[in-house]
Amino acid sequence: MTAVLEYFSNIFHALYTVVVGMRITVRHLFTTSVTIQYPTVKAKIPERARNRLYVNIDDCIGCDQCSMACPVDCITIETVKSTPDIDLGLTSKNTKKRLYVSRFDIDIAKCCYCGLCVYPCPTECIVMTDVYEFSEFDRNNLIYHFSNMTGDEIASARARLKKFDEEQAAKKAAAAAAAAAAKATAPAPAPPPPAAPAAPAVPERPKPDPSTPSA
Amino acid sequence: MELYTIIFYVFAVITLGAAAIVVFSRNIVRAAFALLFAFFGVAGIYVFLLADFIAVTQLLIYVGGITVLVLFGVMLTNRQVSVDIKTGTMQTLPAVILTSALAGTLIGIFWSTDWRVTAQPLASETTASALGELLLGPYVLPFEVASMVLMVALVGAAMVARREKKPS
Amino acid sequence: MDSLYAFLSQPLVLSVLLGAIPLVFIIVYALVVLYMEMKVAAHIQDRLAYMRTGWHGVLQPFADMLKLLQKEDVVPVQADQFLFRVAPYVVFAGTYAAYAVLPFSSIYVGANLNLGVFFLIAVSSLVVAGILMAGWASNNKWAIFGGLRSAAQMISYEIPTALSIVVATMIAGSLNLQDVTRFQDGGIQNWIVFGGTLPLTQKLLILPFTLITFVILFVASVAEVNRTPFDLPEAESELVQGFNTEYSGMRFAMFYLAEYANLFLVSAVAVSLFLGGWSSPFGSFLSGPVWGIFWFVMKAMVFVFMQIWIRWTLPRLRVDQLLYTSWKVLTPWLFACIVAIGFILVA
Ligand code: SF4
Ligand code: SF4
Repeated sequence: MTAVLEYFSNIFHALYTVVVGMRITVRHLFTTSVTIQYPTVKAKIPERARNRLYVNIDDCIGCDQCSMACPVDCITIETVKSTPDIDLGLTSKNTKKRLYVSRFDIDIAKCCYCGLCVYPCPTECIVMTDVYEFSEFDRNNLIYHFSNMTGDEIASARARLKKFDEEQAAKKAAAAAAAAAAKATAPAPAPPPPAAPAAPAVPERPKPDPSTPSA
Repeated sequence: MELYTIIFYVFAVITLGAAAIVVFSRNIVRAAFALLFAFFGVAGIYVFLLADFIAVTQLLIYVGGITVLVLFGVMLTNRQVSVDIKTGTMQTLPAVILTSALAGTLIGIFWSTDWRVTAQPLASETTASALGELLLGPYVLPFEVASMVLMVALVGAAMVARREKKPS
Repeated sequence: MDSLYAFLSQPLVLSVLLGAIPLVFIIVYALVVLYMEMKVAAHIQDRLAYMRTGWHGVLQPFADMLKLLQKEDVVPVQADQFLFRVAPYVVFAGTYAAYAVLPFSSIYVGANLNLGVFFLIAVSSLVVAGILMAGWASNNKWAIFGGLRSAAQMISYEIPTALSIVVATMIAGSLNLQDVTRFQDGGIQNWIVFGGTLPLTQKLLILPFTLITFVILFVASVAEVNRTPFDLPEAESELVQGFNTEYSGMRFAMFYLAEYANLFLVSAVAVSLFLGGWSSPFGSFLSGPVWGIFWFVMKAMVFVFMQIWIRWTLPRLRVDQLLYTSWKVLTPWLFACIVAIGFILVA
């Protein structure tokens, strides 16, 4: 008896559920669709969405922190130290710029849009924009060059730095020589200061300046 | 009439060619498919004999039913994906005796039948209603017996295929 | 001009031309239904489907067709070359042959066979054979499983289909679809689904049974064309594409065309048998040979739409559910209907 009942109730349920399902689908047939017609209509990008990177090179102090933070190493930075007689100006955060940023390349094809490069930047000059359409036919076009220095400018900056270094070295040497001469004439033979502390003679990779106000 | 003759020969070639493939093919699945075309050709010839009901039944039962079941069986029981389903020749002597007996009978019937040739076109009315009346009238008993036999076969097949429920 | 007319009116040429009408129809219809299916599917899922090729993407079916036509026709090396090549044509031939007996209008039917629907059921079985052929010849496990499932399914569902056709035949007294349609001519109250042209009491008695039969015919015909929820032979998620996994280009297009042609075919059969075929639902209003074509195609398209609608509503059945439905539900109910209707008709 129960089997018979089950048989009929199965049939009833099959038909009933089909009707219910078809009612739902027909209702959806006439609801407005949620499709966004992409190239002509664009979805609103959330406020903090991470898309293409932009570097405001005028504010960049060449500190290399973004490059070090990047997990996929897609940022390449090269800098040239400036000489004291040249004023590179201030960033918009009033940080003094000491380095020429001779190269600032981001290989956006490798970028995973993690945004890790954005946070460490002391001058907040590397930012995520809301541009997400930048496909290219040539992969090389996806390497973005942000540095605005021309080859000549870089060469002259290098040359100036070299000259300055040489001058500094010469000055050091002269000073050392003079000191040595003075020592030699003095009666008490004080140990001569080692020639080594000619500290700024060798251009070191600049450390981030701790005195820089971060805000 | 020209046209009908041509069509007749087309069907004849289909039937005989397919039948030859059935016999000579080494590949049993191909043979089964050829059988399908042979049945199809025979159905065409039935149409020429003004046996439209038989022709359609032939299509329905032999093409749609039996060949498909044969294929089904072959495909389920053999290694499906490779093509090494082969047929071979065995039991040559009994086969020769049987087939020649069959062929002799058929040719005998062919010769002894009085084939009527008429000039008028035959009335091409359907045979279905006449057949139906005969089957449900004078021949109702054989008809029912045949259906009982089929029924028994069906039940038997279901019994054989059925899995015994384990008493739990 | 005269010679052209003479050429065209030769019986052979004429019959070829008349026989090609459904083919033209199928191709045009396939483009329409392709578009319809995509649009209905998309809107049911709250999407839009194609929008960029022409107005609301109406040119997309043409683009799809051109794409299929120019695609490479790949035949797998290990496939059974001959059978692989002919299978799509066998499938399409089976479908197309069935179109011969469809009465598109009171003046057009490909072949006015007295055995009409019976012939139709018989030649559709070529489709089963073709699908098995495609499945086996592909030499691919998915394909062969698809073929086997398809055969099992179509053979089991042929029985309810045939039996529901028997019901309509019993009421109309003919197997010829043209006659069955003519029997129902004269308005919606004469349709067989509403009891045909019987006297009122008989009509009321017969009504529940014809309705049940019609529902069963509809379910069985959805299964006959292998569409969701009965699309086990194709079952993308299990069998890739079933029996047409290995097909590409023109041959794949052939299967596609056959599937859509079949979709229309089963709808048209249901319409001719139960819903008055080409006859207008308003009696003599809007009737006539040309309106006949309109009504026939429209009624059938409603069912094509229903099948698309069902496809995007229901999930796929399991094999056992599929066979259960056929053998334990549809077939016994139909037998009951046949017996009941027989009694009512005789009494
Ligand atoms: S977003 Fe991430 S991956 Fe892209 S440049 Fe910045 S740190 Fe590198
Ligand atoms: S962290 Fe900012 S300031 Fe430093 S190199 Fe990168 S972009 Fe320039």
